[in-house]
Amino acid sequence: MKTSQLLLAIAGVAALLLFPVGIDNPYYIHLLETIMIYAIVLFGLDIVVGYTGQVSLGHAGLFGLGAYAAGVLVLKLAAPFWITVPVAILFTAGFGALLALPALRVSGPYLAMVTLAFGTIIQILINEMSFLTEGPMGIKLEKPALFGHKLDEREFYWVVAVLMVLALIVVHRILRSHLGRAFEALRGSPVASDCMGVSVYRYKVYAFVISAGFAGLAGCLYAYSEQYISPNTYNFELTVLFLLAVIMGGRKSRIGAMLGATIIVLLPKLLDDVVLFRYVSVALAVLVMATAAVAIRRGRATPVQMAIPVAGSIALAGLSFWLDTMTDWRLSIFGVIMLFVVYYLQDGIVGFVRKAFNIRTPQPGAPTEGEGRAQSDAVSTAAHAGASGDLLQAGGVLMQFGGLKALNNVDLTIRRGTIHGLIGPNGSGKSTMMNVLTGIYVPTAGSLVFAGRSLVGRTSADIALSGIARTFQNVQLFGEMTALQNVQVGLHHSFRSNLLDVALGTPRYRREREAAAARALGLLKFVGLESFAAEEARNLPYGKQRLLEIARALALDPQLLLLDEPAAGLTAPDIKELMVIIRKIREHGVTVILIEHHMDVVMSICDTVSVLDFGQKIAEGVPAAVQANEKVIEAYLGGQDAADPHAATTTANA
Amino acid sequence: MQILTQLIFSGIALGMIYAVIAFGYQLTFATSDTLNFGQGDALMLGALVGLTLVNAGMNYWLMIPLVCLFGAFQGAVVERIGVRPAIKIKSEFGWIMSTIALGIIFKNVAENVWGRDDLKFPSPLPESPIKFLNANVLPMEILVVAGAILMMLAVELFNRRSIYGKAVVATFNDRDAAKLMGINTGLVITFSYALSSMTAAFAGVLIAPLTLTGATMGAVLGLKAFAVAIIGGLTSGMGIVVGGIILGIAETTTGFYLSTGYKDVPGLVLLLIVLAVRPAGLFGKTAIKKV
Repeated sequence: MKTSQLLLAIAGVAALLLFPVGIDNPYYIHLLETIMIYAIVLFGLDIVVGYTGQVSLGHAGLFGLGAYAAGVLVLKLAAPFWITVPVAILFTAGFGALLALPALRVSGPYLAMVTLAFGTIIQILINEMSFLTEGPMGIKLEKPALFGHKLDEREFYWVVAVLMVLALIVVHRILRSHLGRAFEALRGSPVASDCMGVSVYRYKVYAFVISAGFAGLAGCLYAYSEQYISPNTYNFELTVLFLLAVIMGGRKSRIGAMLGATIIVLLPKLLDDVVLFRYVSVALAVLVMATAAVAIRRGRATPVQMAIPVAGSIALAGLSFWLDTMTDWRLSIFGVIMLFVVYYLQDGIVGFVRKAFNIRTPQPGAPTEGEGRAQSDAVSTAAHAGASGDLLQAGGVLMQFGGLKALNNVDLTIRRGTIHGLIGPNGSGKSTMMNVLTGIYVPTAGSLVFAGRSLVGRTSADIALSGIARTFQNVQLFGEMTALQNVQVGLHHSFRSNLLDVALGTPRYRREREAAAARALGLLKFVGLESFAAEEARNLPYGKQRLLEIARALALDPQLLLLDEPAAGLTAPDIKELMVIIRKIREHGVTVILIEHHMDVVMSICDTVSVLDFGQKIAEGVPAAVQANEKVIEAYLGGQDAADPHAATTTANA
Repeated sequence: MQILTQLIFSGIALGMIYAVIAFGYQLTFATSDTLNFGQGDALMLGALVGLTLVNAGMNYWLMIPLVCLFGAFQGAVVERIGVRPAIKIKSEFGWIMSTIALGIIFKNVAENVWGRDDLKFPSPLPESPIKFLNANVLPMEILVVAGAILMMLAVELFNRRSIYGKAVVATFNDRDAAKLMGINTGLVITFSYALSSMTAAFAGVLIAPLTLTGATMGAVLGLKAFAVAIIGGLTSGMGIVVGGIILGIAETTTGFYLSTGYKDVPGLVLLLIVLAVRPAGLFGKTAIKKV
């Protein structure tokens, strides 16, 4: 962290702590307290929404669980504060895991509905289980006591402030660690995450559990803060409000979460005061008009695009003068704000400010001075390098999609330390073979033995960790992450640190982090991308993206590397470079399977070549022999019998 | 036994309502892979508009086509404001959030226009039950079942037989290819939203005489209908009818034997279980993911 940022942070925390000393009005103290409590929920929600990219409509329910865990413990057992807080966190985190179970199989709108159903069930249960929760009556409780001293409003404020700062530090550390990168990778490309040994299932569950833990903590504090909890607080509106806060403040930003919390707490208060709201809405309309005028003049937007927000803000101002009370229309105004944010402020206020002032997003994971000594040769030598024998044996592999046999009884034996070419016309089953080998498809029949262990039925992540890395025909990078972070995701397996290590910043975690950063930079150097380390992957040119995929795959320390058309879209000099890189990879004892359409590449670097056609292996041998094989020539160029019976059925993805 | 038969009958009537709303989910999912998270609110608006028309002295049967027209218009508005811009920027998050936002706005407007209290919807049919299989059945329940089936059949027939329906099916199969074939896919998607909200509004006026009408009636109905759509599968017409009936009966029996407070639970739990075990639904086909 830079000194200026550190000073700013200290100043912020000091201001927060001194606030109740300066302002004695309990109303304002309570307001700020609520903002901080909401901020804790939003830190957690941002993990799910911002990082893994899922919509959760269940966080009001989780928040309620935290509140009721504390409320019931106090009501039934008169539990002290230092018990209710950890119990509320763990209890809610447990429910987070429960919520994540259906979430394992689904994403997007389905997940949104699942979380909504979950939130609704929780509200019903709280309402109905009166023997425990007092039902709709709600629970009254007092401010907690700490060390035998009962806290007053101001002292409790300090407790909340300290816990929020702690939550902020912990969540910040988690999201900058390998865990945070794993969450982000899920969003970028689930398939690639799995193939990098980062199990999508497991990390989705982690994300929900951690997120729920924060909601639980916040809920617990909320119960003490309000001193009264009732089921109707934790409803659909609250959950939508949380979501609005995250996207409006700005995803993937702690400042955004705090900003969002401030907005959703203050906005209802603002709407209660119609006179104040009139001033604010007029100011907003002027601001929107000014922004639109500037944007149009600079050519960043067309008048048509700007017409809607301008008209909308003027209409809002008009509405505020027409209505006598805004309170009843609160939800409509939230709805309109939400629409506005979704379409005009996609990166939230923080993102908007960053863009307007050209502030670059701070990039976690980049090695700082001193630790950035990149090894010139970061590719690790494969396990058992130099040994001879077969690394991979596939026997009678059958992959059937409905009536189509994408792979039909294919036998394939890959010798250790070789470059094995896999060629064939489009739709011949090459990529299907890759997907079968990496566990994305489970073969209908047949055996796959890799380094003495069967691959059939194992998950992609498990297979990846056992030493098979791959690249993808249609590039599957984590677009919003930098080149360096992409490689670091591949290095995920090198971390032994757990959540506690990350949260506390133990020496073990720091050591691993620095090693991984240096290693990642070394791997980028290996493929010649070190100068692009801080660039977002989606901004790299296509050819560089392919090289980055190779670097990421090498980060897994694989024994076997599957390259799916690495030369596609590369220029002639780039291809030469690629061939050098592939040869160097082999020198490290890594076995390579190469799918490629550039025959000169295949013929010059492969030791053995297998040819697939319509899912069947039609030839195998040294490149020269295969090249001369009549069947192969026929498959590529078409033979005498033009009326090929298969010709109409080639639909398998090549 | 008599009570159980009766519970089953009202369960079927309720289930058919779920099926009709779920059918609306299927319609939009078919053309654009999107769902209206405010589907329940479309139903609620339909019911309240219908109530206003009936209270203004209009005949129940004459009111239905008008409500359908209103529903179609409302659906088109949702699509234009909430879904089309999101499809354009290919943002799944976008349409989820904007249909939720529109749902909230509709609900809030309804609260302000019709008030926060539940209102009684006058029944167009006699409210005295008739005996059937030794159980009491309300004439309105029979109307609900018949109306729901007719509505779904009519839309299905339209999709299968007319050239416009073919355009809908083509858009479902491959949006880009359909566009290249000269189909105005944007219009098809708007149309599917109009149809979807129309069925929801229709379901609203069907169910309203059996329950109370109010701004909050939609949310849980929409969610449970989604459960039905998932249980039945988002691509199976038969599935939602079966799913709807399962859920409807589960709900009426839970409400009677356990507690009415818990009546929403079986549907939601069923939704969680089906999604955890078989996301494509009991009748849907699993898609093969391509890499």
